[in-house]
Amino acid sequence: MSQFEYVGKSIGRRDGVDKTTGRGLFTTDIFLPGMLFAKVLRSPHPHARIVSIDTTEAEKLPGVKAIMTHKNGPKNLFNAAVPMFLTIPQLERVLDQYLFDEIVRHVGDEVAAVAATSEAVAEKALGLIKVEYEILPAVFDALEAMKPEAPELHAGKGCTPEGKNIPAEIVKIPYNDVEKGLAESDVIVEQTFELPVQKQVQMETQAAVAQVDGNGDVTVWSTTQTPHPSRAILGQIFGIAASKIRVLAPPYVGGGFGVRIGLSGKAEPIAMGLALLAKRPVKLVYTRKEDFIASDTRHAAYVTVKLGAKKDGTFQALDMKAVFNTGAFCTFGAELPGVCGAMTLAIYRIPHQRYFGHSVYTNRTSAGAMRGFGNPQGNLAMEQVVDMMAEKLGMDPLELRRKNIMKAGDPWCLPYPCSTTELSECMRQGAESIGWERRGKLNEPGAVKLRGLGMAVGTHVSNAWPFCVDYDNAYVTIQPDGSAHVASGVPDIGTGTSTSLVQIAAETLGMSMDSISLTYGDTLGTPFDIGSHASRTCYAAGTAIKAAAADARKQLLEYAAGYFNIAPERLEIKAGLISPVAGSLDECSGSGLCQLEEVKEGKGNSVTVAELAYHAHVRNKQFIGVGRIVPENAPPWHACFAEVEVDTRTGQVRIVKLAAAHDVGRAINPMIVEGQIEGGAAQGIGYALSEEITYNDKGRQQQYSMHNYMLPTAEDMPEIHSIIVESHDPTGPFGAKGAGECSLVCPASAIANAVANATGYRFKQIPMTPERVFKALNS
Amino acid sequence: MPNQIISFRLNGEVVEIAVSPEEMLLDVLREKMHLTGTKRGCGKGECGACTVIFNGKAMNACLIPAMRAKGADIQTIEGVEGPGGLHPLQQSFIDKGAVQCGFCTPGMIMSAKALLDKNKSPSKEQIREAVGGNICRCTGYVKIEEAVEDAARQLRASAVKGGDL
Repeated sequence: MSQFEYVGKSIGRRDGVDKTTGRGLFTTDIFLPGMLFAKVLRSPHPHARIVSIDTTEAEKLPGVKAIMTHKNGPKNLFNAAVPMFLTIPQLERVLDQYLFDEIVRHVGDEVAAVAATSEAVAEKALGLIKVEYEILPAVFDALEAMKPEAPELHAGKGCTPEGKNIPAEIVKIPYNDVEKGLAESDVIVEQTFELPVQKQVQMETQAAVAQVDGNGDVTVWSTTQTPHPSRAILGQIFGIAASKIRVLAPPYVGGGFGVRIGLSGKAEPIAMGLALLAKRPVKLVYTRKEDFIASDTRHAAYVTVKLGAKKDGTFQALDMKAVFNTGAFCTFGAELPGVCGAMTLAIYRIPHQRYFGHSVYTNRTSAGAMRGFGNPQGNLAMEQVVDMMAEKLGMDPLELRRKNIMKAGDPWCLPYPCSTTELSECMRQGAESIGWERRGKLNEPGAVKLRGLGMAVGTHVSNAWPFCVDYDNAYVTIQPDGSAHVASGVPDIGTGTSTSLVQIAAETLGMSMDSISLTYGDTLGTPFDIGSHASRTCYAAGTAIKAAAADARKQLLEYAAGYFNIAPERLEIKAGLISPVAGSLDECSGSGLCQLEEVKEGKGNSVTVAELAYHAHVRNKQFIGVGRIVPENAPPWHACFAEVEVDTRTGQVRIVKLAAAHDVGRAINPMIVEGQIEGGAAQGIGYALSEEITYNDKGRQQQYSMHNYMLPTAEDMPEIHSIIVESHDPTGPFGAKGAGECSLVCPASAIANAVANATGYRFKQIPMTPERVFKALNS
Repeated sequence: MPNQIISFRLNGEVVEIAVSPEEMLLDVLREKMHLTGTKRGCGKGECGACTVIFNGKAMNACLIPAMRAKGADIQTIEGVEGPGGLHPLQQSFIDKGAVQCGFCTPGMIMSAKALLDKNKSPSKEQIREAVGGNICRCTGYVKIEEAVEDAARQLRASAVKGGDL
């Protein structure tokens, strides 16, 4: 039994009716009077200089109201993602984009934008813009782009002793003496893996609607995950005060998965720029193809892991190197290699470790944040090498991991402690669910369909510190009618935070969820918050809301104490009723509800929050709780187990079952947490088996629609057993830790290990498509 | 071909509207009738977010030329809720946690409803096939299948009781 009224319960989502009836409003649904529609002209070349651009004919087309190119666009350098505004003081911001530049750096890069009275007119106008390009040499592979002969993407930027086109600081994590650790090892396994470009493919494409009023104040409805930082980025692009800009979700956002931590592609600044020119509202909705080729992807990477162990399986040394392909712009290219290294190094107790990682510019669509943020790439390499080590040592991979996993309080490379871990219990329950004891006994000799079992473990963060600026604020205002209003700057990108954050507020206040309203995802009326990413919304924004609610509660009880004639600490609020702690409630005359003045006279010993709030209101007082917090950080944990069946005649890999056991601290809403685990598993399955964007030699993306980018459908899904193993983390609200991303850290690694177990072949490259598997097994 | 005024039945009511030959039903629903519950996820019939029930069949509104709506019977997500409250599918989607970002939800419910309108005891495979053209990137489909099964159970129970859900 939960000791709580609201926390820990699978309460139905507050946005459920809106979203199941079609009433829920998304950015793409917004229509304003006089609104114009924007379309963007995009580069057909991966690298070129715009020699000339002529918009004369397009301007003459009836219905065209504004055109923006590099000639009349803003000239302030920026970073389209939150590092523009959230880079920690120890690091230098990478600012490498203009809204429109005279150089285009990938197929799909912005050349011009048109606002017109309809999408059709805007589209027609694009065809009338004459552009002359001078083709520049292009490079698409990260290792190629580091070579001395490689073309430079951003002039001299990124020319380092380590190679060309390295936009940001190289992340080096030293931990004791890795050379000594390797020398002391009995067995060493080293392997390099090549990881593909994955796409978020959130269901609502990048979109924004911008409106400028007569005073130059701007409202932007947006699909962003981070309204407050996005407004700051827009302010810097256009050189106007951020306080003149309001960014909001309207209130719903059709998914994120990291693709809009900062701007939504460039939808907001393009819509805003055109709205400033046309003096009319402008709506820009990316087509699915634009979303694919012109908004951030997951980073492709080369990751090398060298692991040393004693004969008994004790890990001695881990040396890891990662090179990330960040594409045309850096966005998160500075921070992501650090998360990859730190999260991979944090899984096991290894006395000697070293990590070296960085990004490289290429002429591909820019890569940025996607759920897991560099961690799945590192995990795929690490967890496969652990399995290879187990094989070399003749040990069960489960036992080898059990021997080496991090324990609470163990020293590690991170600047915050390993506060809690139930990974061992996750492994136990996951192994039981998948039937781990069957491993190695699944196939008859000569079988054409081979079964295998594999596992992987991993961890992640519960917010973005120390990788970027991370703090939260919240207000909780008790209204004169006794209801509470919570204001938090995070949006709900679909993860259910507009429900779970209210659960936290209700539990803290002692008031029902129905008596609490929430303003979120709107820079007007909410205090600054860095937004919804890094598995942080429930953990970090939840901590701020808990603090604000506790403050409001304290003020209520202090006000009440004078009338109850006892210390405020001896009062409590339960179900909206204030009374002495654990006392039996006396009834008052008439309605049974007591008035504060009666309580003061000794009649009755309870009042409703509504009575108290109104009593205070008519005496010129309101209770406003403020939460201002800098969150700690804490590791969630995941043990993932997969059973696969590989058809050796076709190369088809079928996943029979996935068991995903998670330590998420306390699950504020278990049903929502299960949804996170299952969704992460599905994306992991896609990453392992089918999802990939490849480029041809002309630099064109070969996958840019749902038709040829192979997303898992309902018919592809195996049985998924989501297991929540609760711990009580001292740093999170009610013991919660992050839950959003860890679910995608391990599934692909577990599937890769299962395929190796089934076939005896280790794939150094994913996805394990039928073509790749067939070739490998038949050569 | 000039614009034509067509009439069709939409969520139980006969409507008349002028449409052009190049317009798709999705454009008419969203941009002319402001029924924005039907979502546009790709515009090419690949994601299912714009699924409506067209003469009893789940179809992608982005692939139906608006002119073809002439005389048709069309149901959109806005027509699913009855006077007595949410349809069992809508309630089950909420109760079972099948809703996350909500962008695929209307189309998902329409595909499931087209199935349950004809078959109140679908197998797991039939459910998966019915929503197989509806992409969801949030849920991994697990709770969506559970919600459809749950709604089917409720519909069977109310059919036994003689209800008219």
